[in-house]
Amino acid sequence: MQLLEKLCQIAENPYAYAEKIKGDARTPIIGYFCSYAPEEVICAAGAVPFRIFGTRGDISLADAHLQSYCCSLARGGLEDALTGRLSFLDGTVFPHTCDSIQRLSDIWRLNGGFSFHSDIVLPVKLDTPSARTYMTAVLRDFRDELAAALKVPLTDDDLTSAVRTVNQIRKHLGDLYAAHSKTPGILSAKALHQVIKAAMVMDRKEAAADLAALLESLGLDNPPTVADSGRKRVILSGGICNHPDLYSLMEVAGADVVWDDLCTGTRYVEGLVGETGDPIAAIAERYMERMVCPAKHSDNTARGRNLVELARTHQAGGVIFLFLKFCDPHAFDYPYLKQFLDEAGIPSMVLEIEERLPPEGQMKTRIESFVEMI
Amino acid sequence: MSIVAGCDVGSLTAKAVIMKNGKIIGSHIIKSKPRPKDSADAALEGALSAAGVSKADIAYCIGTGYGREKIDFVNEVVSEITCHGKGARWMLPTAETVIDIGGQDCKTMKLDKDGNVDRFAANDKCASGTGRFLEVMAKVLHIDIDELGKLSAKAKNPITLASTCTVWAQADVIKYINSGVSIEDIGAGVNTAMAVRVAILVNAVKPEGDIFMTGGVAKNIGVLETLEKLIGKRIKRSRKADPQMAGAIGAALLSMEKIDGSGNNRLK
Repeated sequence: MQLLEKLCQIAENPYAYAEKIKGDARTPIIGYFCSYAPEEVICAAGAVPFRIFGTRGDISLADAHLQSYCCSLARGGLEDALTGRLSFLDGTVFPHTCDSIQRLSDIWRLNGGFSFHSDIVLPVKLDTPSARTYMTAVLRDFRDELAAALKVPLTDDDLTSAVRTVNQIRKHLGDLYAAHSKTPGILSAKALHQVIKAAMVMDRKEAAADLAALLESLGLDNPPTVADSGRKRVILSGGICNHPDLYSLMEVAGADVVWDDLCTGTRYVEGLVGETGDPIAAIAERYMERMVCPAKHSDNTARGRNLVELARTHQAGGVIFLFLKFCDPHAFDYPYLKQFLDEAGIPSMVLEIEERLPPEGQMKTRIESFVEMI
Repeated sequence: MSIVAGCDVGSLTAKAVIMKNGKIIGSHIIKSKPRPKDSADAALEGALSAAGVSKADIAYCIGTGYGREKIDFVNEVVSEITCHGKGARWMLPTAETVIDIGGQDCKTMKLDKDGNVDRFAANDKCASGTGRFLEVMAKVLHIDIDELGKLSAKAKNPITLASTCTVWAQADVIKYINSGVSIEDIGAGVNTAMAVRVAILVNAVKPEGDIFMTGGVAKNIGVLETLEKLIGKRIKRSRKADPQMAGAIGAALLSMEKIDGSGNNRLK
């Protein structure tokens, strides 16, 4: 499983990987914070889209710019920009999502010192025909902006080729998720989390090839059938998770994370972009059709219905909400999501995390109690 | 019927209970030592001695509490939330809502008909609303923690602490001591501050049915009575056992269910 080790190492230390691929060729690397960043466009421009997950270090410089009630993703990302840990980036793209990320964009532009900076002011309501037209228009503007900045032609053919590569990654990750849900022992939830994180920072062609090889090595065409282990099955729901150890804690407590509704999870994988016709319109179409994140709107109950459906489909005994402290969009959605789960008789629990996990004793007790309860 | 044991190693105290035929035949509580293993050994030794049995007589033992992973003589470990729920139901068979205030956290649980935890809420922000808060305040007031609860009934004009942060509240208490406020009025203010924090958590699980309180703070009458006023419901008492032993009792009960296949708990 050298390949799995390689992907886990990249997820563990994505900055070292980025420095390596930048290398002598000075491959452009464009940072992003959110699953609404159109990475197909970035790939088509010959650049590597690089997802920023926050920091692993202490936060000090960022607190001079952001209030301490901003989430650790915004504060941690800015910290790494200000300390120079992200100096391999050629620029950053900020899709319009939550308030913190929008304001971070301004601070980033003024203080980050990166040559390229773009705000993609996406629509908030994603269930209207006008939003579709508008979404396509802003993505087209981003394409032109990036092409001019990187001085590349960025043709429709380039875009279609990039769409195919990113689609392959999504298909492979989707297959891995499905296999893991069916047979959780096939690879650990922690490893799956590391693999998907690696795919978000790697050169996408390399990621697609590595994932295809990983699937082959796991023999997923004929996955082993395991007897009911009696282990509990849970789903994670929330924003980003930058703590692989959390999956291990759940595993030790007797529960397998069999699916998720996370930005660092299935939100990245869900839906494929059409490979024929206007590629920009097809990218917009995926965002319009994909289940929304709480910073966007489709209808009032879509996420609630989806979460209940996910729990039923994957036979999960419970849902653990994993929220970054001070993440308002997720906190706003939580009461109604919990209500949907309560009505469906699915137990749930909230874990609030920051760049560091809470004291282990308390968190273990809460996780174990929840696992014992479901 | 076999002899079983439960051992609850918390951050402030370690407890062990020996049960036979569903009855407690020995128990022991000690102040936690730096190493959970040493605490567990000492607590179990005391309980064995009280019961007049030896370690070899124990058919099954479940460990719980924050030090549970470090106890080497247990057959398995179970979280203290599950154990307190089980112990509370044994102490008060009608208990539906359980409030457990331990040394470093505070939880409220709703129990199902079998005494299993159906829903719970736990503090995850800070040390206010935990036994540690009362311990720190008792130390500042130079009184025994067991005396703190009785001060509320004697208070004439209880103070209101400006902050429930344990560190800031400590500074606040020192200020009141230096300005000549009576120990009773300060103690009552401390108990109220504690009860206010706990009430938030209790209300989060929408308490129903009979309410019971476990953990060392259940013995603080000042906190208990203020909490009753704040949640507008009576918290039932039980003389069956010391509420501080509820976690260890629950662990012993689960041990019993484990070996005789009784009960209907959801553990594997």
